[in-house]
Amino acid sequence: MVEFLHTLRVEWLKVKHYRTFWILLAVVVVCIPAFNYVIYDFTDNSFPKINGKSLLGTPFAFPNVWSTVPYNAGILVFMPVILIITLFTNEYSFRTHRQNIIDGWSRSRFIHIKLLEVLLLTLFVTLVVVLTCLYFGFLTRKEAPSKTSWEQFRFILFYFVEMLDYSLIAVVFAMLIRRAGLAMGIFFLYMIGEQFVVSLSRNKYKATWVNYLPEEVSDRLIPQPFARKLISPENTAYWENHVNGYFLVSIGYILIFIFLISWRFRKSDL
Amino acid sequence: MASILSLQNISKSYGRIDALKAVSFEVPAGSVFGILGPNGSGKTTLLGVVMNVLRPNAGKFDWFGQQPGEKLRRDIGTLLETPNFYHYLSAKRNLEITASIKHKPWDDIDRVLKIVRLYERRDSKFQTFSLGMKQRLAIASCLLGDPSVLVFDEPTNGLDPAGIAEIRQLITDLARNGKTIILASHLLAEVEKVCTHVAILQRGVLIRSGEVKSVLSQEEWLEIGSADLTLLQEIAGRLPGVKSILVSENHLQLYFDSSPPDAGWMNRHCFEQGVALNFLALRKKSLESAFIELTDNVSN
Repeated sequence: MVEFLHTLRVEWLKVKHYRTFWILLAVVVVCIPAFNYVIYDFTDNSFPKINGKSLLGTPFAFPNVWSTVPYNAGILVFMPVILIITLFTNEYSFRTHRQNIIDGWSRSRFIHIKLLEVLLLTLFVTLVVVLTCLYFGFLTRKEAPSKTSWEQFRFILFYFVEMLDYSLIAVVFAMLIRRAGLAMGIFFLYMIGEQFVVSLSRNKYKATWVNYLPEEVSDRLIPQPFARKLISPENTAYWENHVNGYFLVSIGYILIFIFLISWRFRKSDL
Repeated sequence: MASILSLQNISKSYGRIDALKAVSFEVPAGSVFGILGPNGSGKTTLLGVVMNVLRPNAGKFDWFGQQPGEKLRRDIGTLLETPNFYHYLSAKRNLEITASIKHKPWDDIDRVLKIVRLYERRDSKFQTFSLGMKQRLAIASCLLGDPSVLVFDEPTNGLDPAGIAEIRQLITDLARNGKTIILASHLLAEVEKVCTHVAILQRGVLIRSGEVKSVLSQEEWLEIGSADLTLLQEIAGRLPGVKSILVSENHLQLYFDSSPPDAGWMNRHCFEQGVALNFLALRKKSLESAFIELTDNVSN
């Protein structure tokens, strides 16, 4: 445990005085609530109200807010991903991934503490999402809090899984490409490419296997939260029937990525 | 002498290129061990393997007679290829990271920065350093915790002549204090000046290893000259142990079966034989010629 904390402290020393890290982290912390506020304002004021209620329902009120904010934050997933790619590719650009080993870390120690760093960042971003949910939930609450306020809290777990899934895909690209700009470019290309394949296969060939591609399956954990009453009950039931599968497959991808990242770093030339 | 590092049949290939072919040798404790070879001979690959950043295809090695591991590497100061630091951090903060990884006290940082004359620049970011300063910072990081073994790969890269002399002096001082130093270099003069032992690599093959004087035997000969070269050649031909005589424009080169006779004796002997020498010199084959001869023999 002492050794583990010592290793974690070294990672802290790497970022403690790294201005880019703090700027990117601040961007994430500011943008998640700010982007949600823009959507909140849009849903509240831009649609006709029927009997004083917005056509899009009350997505920012408890308990809906637990899925609305994570859904919106999911659109901004590229922001923490940029930070993660930067932290990984820095080690390759500066060749410190070699030097840390030469100086006395095992390869396992290096890659596992890096993966832990990704996990901690994902937890931190999830915490920002939780605080944003609470802010909007209490902002829009018209009645006294009840135990139903906490219904749908599972979407926070789903957001964490989605974020971790994306982060690990980013780590894979960062490890393979080793250059920050190129890794980010390829990552975004992959994001768009996968969405294109999903849309094309689903619309043209009615293929459902594309729902289980790495990014699509974690995206599916959080369905779009607006105007739920307009969505057909069949679609809602379909999602309920499949969400456990999406969750398990997403966890499966996370484990596979962790294994591949760790295996490659431990076995290849640095 | 106990071995600090022992390599047994280390092989490493990159695709179809064999960078190292079954290399075996031992580095004795307290030696300054030069790994010598032209660019691309496998020196850095060899050090990369023993520092666990490259995976060998075959063979094994041990440090201090033990299986290699992270804890052993913490007691070895290593500069491999280039100085590798976090560009956005100062010299001191970079060394704090290195010291933490090595489990060495931070209060040693000022000492090593003073040794490499970077103490005044300790708060400057690494990215503002010149190539020579980066190299000196890398050497400072090797010295953290006063390790008993140091591994330097081309340590004078990027240094100016004064910096090269300083590093050479530093290596000599470290060796005098009983440190074992493994030094990879393609600069023969560097090896000649500081090394006690040497391993010569060429295209991944270990040509020879051992003490410098036995591996790179530097043949000696006498050069003598006088007003009457014909008489001098006659006298020289009668000398005991003379192997061959080369005649040049104004002097003779005398080669012997073993070491040449003492120059003082030679001068007296010629004078007693009625010839006054106007030139007398003991010559030694340069390390460079010895090295080229050795590598050419292997190539052929």
